[in-house]
Amino acid sequence: MSKAMSRHSDAQTIPISFTLNGRLQELDVEPHELLLDVVRDRLGLTGAKRSCDVEVCGACTLLVDGRPVSACTTLAFEVRGKSVLTIEGLAENGKLHPLQDAFIEHGGFQCGFCTPGMILASKALLDEIPNPTEEQLKHFMHGNICRCTGYKKIIESIMAAAKKMAH
Amino acid sequence: MQFEKSVEIQATKEKVWNFIWDVDRFIACVPGCKEAKTVEAGKRYTATMVEKVGPFKVEFPTTIEVTEREELSHIKAQASGADNKIGSRMKIDLDVRLAGEGEKTSLSFIAGVDILGKLAALGHGIIKRKADQVLDEFAMAVKQKLEGDS
Amino acid sequence: MLRRFRLEEPESVSEASELLGRFGDSAKVYAGGTELLLAMKEGLVEYERLVNIKKLGLNDVKQNNGTIRIGALCTHHQLELSPVLQQALPALVKLENNVANVRVRQAGTLGGNLCFAEPHADPGTLLMALDAKMIAEKNGSARAIAAQDFLVDAFETSLAPDEVLTAIEVPVRPARSGIAYLKFGYLERPSVGVGVAITRNDSGIARASVAVGCAGPAPKRVAEAEALLQGKSIEEVTRNLGQAGEIAGKASQAITDLHGSQDYKEHIVGVLLKRAFQSALSQC
Repeated sequence: MSKAMSRHSDAQTIPISFTLNGRLQELDVEPHELLLDVVRDRLGLTGAKRSCDVEVCGACTLLVDGRPVSACTTLAFEVRGKSVLTIEGLAENGKLHPLQDAFIEHGGFQCGFCTPGMILASKALLDEIPNPTEEQLKHFMHGNICRCTGYKKIIESIMAAAKKMAH
Repeated sequence: MQFEKSVEIQATKEKVWNFIWDVDRFIACVPGCKEAKTVEAGKRYTATMVEKVGPFKVEFPTTIEVTEREELSHIKAQASGADNKIGSRMKIDLDVRLAGEGEKTSLSFIAGVDILGKLAALGHGIIKRKADQVLDEFAMAVKQKLEGDS
Repeated sequence: MLRRFRLEEPESVSEASELLGRFGDSAKVYAGGTELLLAMKEGLVEYERLVNIKKLGLNDVKQNNGTIRIGALCTHHQLELSPVLQQALPALVKLENNVANVRVRQAGTLGGNLCFAEPHADPGTLLMALDAKMIAEKNGSARAIAAQDFLVDAFETSLAPDEVLTAIEVPVRPARSGIAYLKFGYLERPSVGVGVAITRNDSGIARASVAVGCAGPAPKRVAEAEALLQGKSIEEVTRNLGQAGEIAGKASQAITDLHGSQDYKEHIVGVLLKRAFQSALSQC
């Protein structure tokens, strides 16, 4: 039977508990709430962006159990029992992640709008393939679109980070 | 989108012409069309068009205006409707011609169909096929109804 | 924002089927949501209830006696990684690896892809060429539907309203077989897709299957093209490729739209058929 509780006769809520950027988070969500809205509006983490809203551009990319998802098209209750990583959770104790360092050093962003999603997707890539070929990188990152950089600097940033992280 | 359809009916021109203006029987031939009403006989009618493509359903309350009429030979009409739920509008320009001798009438029509709004997101191809299907079924239904009751 | 709906989470196929039967048009099966939620966001469809079937399992891949059984809830990503498929159906693994993008592959399921029946999709076309069967279940009964009878039209399958697609069964090809799927497109979704499966014998090509998709409302097997490519020597089949391509192009029911003109798509079908055939041939 459904695990959802009924508060009123017409508003069904689902209590969810998940790890957000390493810390336990507990919330009640309605079935129709989208992960992107919960993360941005209820949890105040606005790194993930609503851009195309149809899972094409990657600006809303979050990592759920280490894997990239389109938060714009993920129902919030789906993260119950899972771990969620947003861009805000990447740096540890103020120390930037090697990917963040690399994007800064190699000019992997201009306006920055696609960048949170781009970096999180890169992290998922390098977690899966620590030393990717350019072809593997492009295939994995195919769903993250950038209008500013022309992608060359993004590829350089990721490759540089991969080198650093291998040591 | 433009469609041209033509159907040969074993019936006199008079019979076909009268059938067209018999709103209830005529509307029954249009797939998905219901609740036809005469607002002004010969001039204005209303109906509801309900169409479904897979899970996508639209309901267009439609107004049909007859703009030209030549006895026993030619009708021009415009049908328009909006489905506010789905945020789409529909417009059809219809040009109907009757031709023939004696017991054989050729009913042909040109339909210019425009679908605007969200429904267009389904893809031009899908809508075109659906419209084509509806018009084919319609032409067949008219033929059958007329040839069926002699 | 989506419109509010109630979530149902059945724990058996029977329960799911019962819910679907009870609520009819106002309820919809929900798995990965990669197509459904988009349509709901657009306001093109509206449901009072979503029936989350992800508690039904249905997400493993097994090979039994010459049949590969793929759980309908396998995500594209799971299929990319499946050792069974990598060994027995590498062409399907390659296809799955190229569906949409990494995020859609993570959430989207093969079953969902087939049931939504979006015309611009890949798996249905190859599965059709592979004589796959869709297993549909409800309230204790199950039936197997051939892919070409399952994928009926754009956004339309032959699944009954209270049926749940639980598995896809693909017969293992005999020895000396080759399979290839090629697609073409420059928009977000593929514009043309061609799947070819051939089996050789000592005199040439014993059997050939050809399916075309994406260009028209639903994928289609092209028996007329297959006739030109099987029961013949390789030389003769190779000579027939052009004509087979033309036939397959016409059979694709291509229409002119943003993805390309009808002519163009029909032409691309022919090109992909040739290349897919060569690729399949090189495997056997």
